[in-house]
Order: sequence, then C-alpha cells, then structure tokens
Amino acid sequence: MEGLGKPQLEQTHVHNVYNIIAGHFSATRYKPWPVVDDFLRGLEKGSVGADVGCGNGKYLGVNPDVFTIGSDRSDKLIDICRERGFEAMVCDNLKLPYRDNCFDFLTSIAVIHHMSSPDRRLMAVNELIRVLRPGGRLLIFVWAFEQEKRSRRRFEEQDVFVPWKMPKNVYLPEGSAAANTTPNTTVEEEGGDVVYQRYYHLFKEGELEEIVGRSEGAIIDMSGYDRDNWYVIVTKA
Amino acid sequence: MLQCHAKSCPQGQSYPLAIRNAELEQLDAEFNADFVTRLMPKLDWAVLRKTAFELGVAELPAEIPTEPTQADLQLIHKVALETRIKEADMVCNGCGHVYPIKDGVPNMLLQDHEI
Repeated sequence: MEGLGKPQLEQTHVHNVYNIIAGHFSATRYKPWPVVDDFLRGLEKGSVGADVGCGNGKYLGVNPDVFTIGSDRSDKLIDICRERGFEAMVCDNLKLPYRDNCFDFLTSIAVIHHMSSPDRRLMAVNELIRVLRPGGRLLIFVWAFEQEKRSRRRFEEQDVFVPWKMPKNVYLPEGSAAANTTPNTTVEEEGGDVVYQRYYHLFKEGELEEIVGRSEGAIIDMSGYDRDNWYVIVTKA
Repeated sequence: MLQCHAKSCPQGQSYPLAIRNAELEQLDAEFNADFVTRLMPKLDWAVLRKTAFELGVAELPAEIPTEPTQADLQLIHKVALETRIKEADMVCNGCGHVYPIKDGVPNMLLQDHEI
C-alpha cells in the first residue's frame, strides 16, 4: 500500500477493481440492508435524491414514490444500472457535478471507506452536505473495524486490502483478466480463482461521527452499528 | 440540476449546461399525478422549459402552473419522466467543457488537473 499516491491507490485498488468485477459483484448484491430500506421508505413522496456510489443500483428502485439519481465512479457498474432501467451517471464523490442545496435526500452506502486519507474522507462528506438542501437527510454507511463475533472477517489494521475472488473464466470480461491489461492491479492465481485486492479504510467506533461532525452544517440525528457497519443519519442545518 | 464543476470555470456561469447534438428516446413511465405535483416545486421551471423547447420535446407554459390541470401534469410527466437523452454533449457556457452522454449515461468525470 505504501508508495502509491492516494488517488493512484484508489484508481488501482478501487476504481479499476470495481470495473473488472462489476458483473460478479452485481450478481452478489441484491438484498437491501434493513436500515437503508427503512430510510428510503420513510422519505416523503415526491422527494428527489441521489445515491452517491450506487454500485449496481440495488437501492435505486426501493421506494417508487421518490426519484433517485444514481452515480458511481465505475462506469461498468453504471452500465448495469442503466440496463436495469435506472437513471444513473458516472461521477466522483470528491467532486460532485450537482448544484448546491439541490437534493431532499442522499445515500452513501459503502463508499466513504474506499477513500484513502482523512482529508479525502472529509472532502467526500463535505460534497454530500453541499448538495443536500437545508433540512434534507443523508444516510452514510461504512464498514466497521469492529466486526461482529459471527463475522468471518477479523482485521488487524484499519487500512487494508480485502480480496475479491472471481471464479476464473466465469465473470471475466474478455481480455480484462490478465494483469497486463490492468496495470498495477494485483492479480493472484489461487486454485483457479482470480483475486483482486480492494482498498478499504475500516472505521473505528466514533470515527464516522467525528468526520461528519467536522463538516459544516451537518447535524447527526442518529448513529449506530448494523451488520459489521457503522452508520449515521444526518440532517443539513 | 447538473452543473459544470471544473476548477477553472467562471463562477455563476456553470449552470445550466447547454445540450448539443442530442438524440432522444421516449420511455414509458407510469403516470402518477400526486408524484408529479410534488415534483413540480423542485423543478427549475425556466431551464426545463427552455431545454424542452430547444430539444423539440414540448412547449411548456411560460410560468409554472399554480393550479395544474391534468393535462399540465401529463405534459410535465412526459417531459421530466418519459424523455431521456440517449446521446448528447452537455456544454458549459462558462468554460466550454464538454460532458458526454453516451447510451443514456452522462459522464461527469474530470481530468486530475481540472479538479
């Protein structure tokens, strides 16, 4: 992990990996998390919002009475959203293309933990707050350092690579499997699987609240822990 | 809702993005009068009206209807929810930056030096 600049680390071990694993990732991401589901279903009818880092769009259709625009840094994941009939675009959480104060609600589900420095995590939160209207609500979920007892993962450090295993020749888009077509992406052969390394910053208890608390105008209504993740629900002042 | 966000873009001219070389597609979305009524106050009416006119989608009333009729709501439904830009260039009036829309997907990424 040392030696790569922060943006380069994210390019190599977040953006490139998601583009390669998009199809396989999407096939394993369909069940909404209850806290996210409740947040979306509790919104006022006719609300307009954005899911920043929407992945395969699994939350875009949860509540048909609101209008949600999806976005992700991975164009391959956005292609999947479009094939499913959702409105979605390619953009970067660190520089959102939306006007100030324009959304009634926002969701950031499993996104900020891919930002590789405290400054970049704060920048991401600041951008979310900027585009949220005063009184609008934001839900943020990040992966927790503290894993539940039943969880299969244990972490030694907060900044880690988490492998994504793809069965060889199953989900690989033509030509993208070989390391030489995806420079700097770690590819290991392991019993027929191809393993890609995704970068994560795992949040310790209180850390998400601390970052959000530094963003001007953010008021934390609620925070909690759910299924190995920390979350906050925020209102903009 | 979208604006130019390049660093060099002059303040105040980053919105709205002009739409050039557009190819449109028509979708089928279920009409919901209540939803459209609640959506209306969130629309930038002048920009929506201008864009809908320039793209030849529809001619919306000059002012946002205060007591919209069923026909008004259906027209807004068609413009805002059933019309999709399939291919186009979105061009910033301030700095000329071009954001492409390809197969219905806007790409709003900037180069590193533009952030």
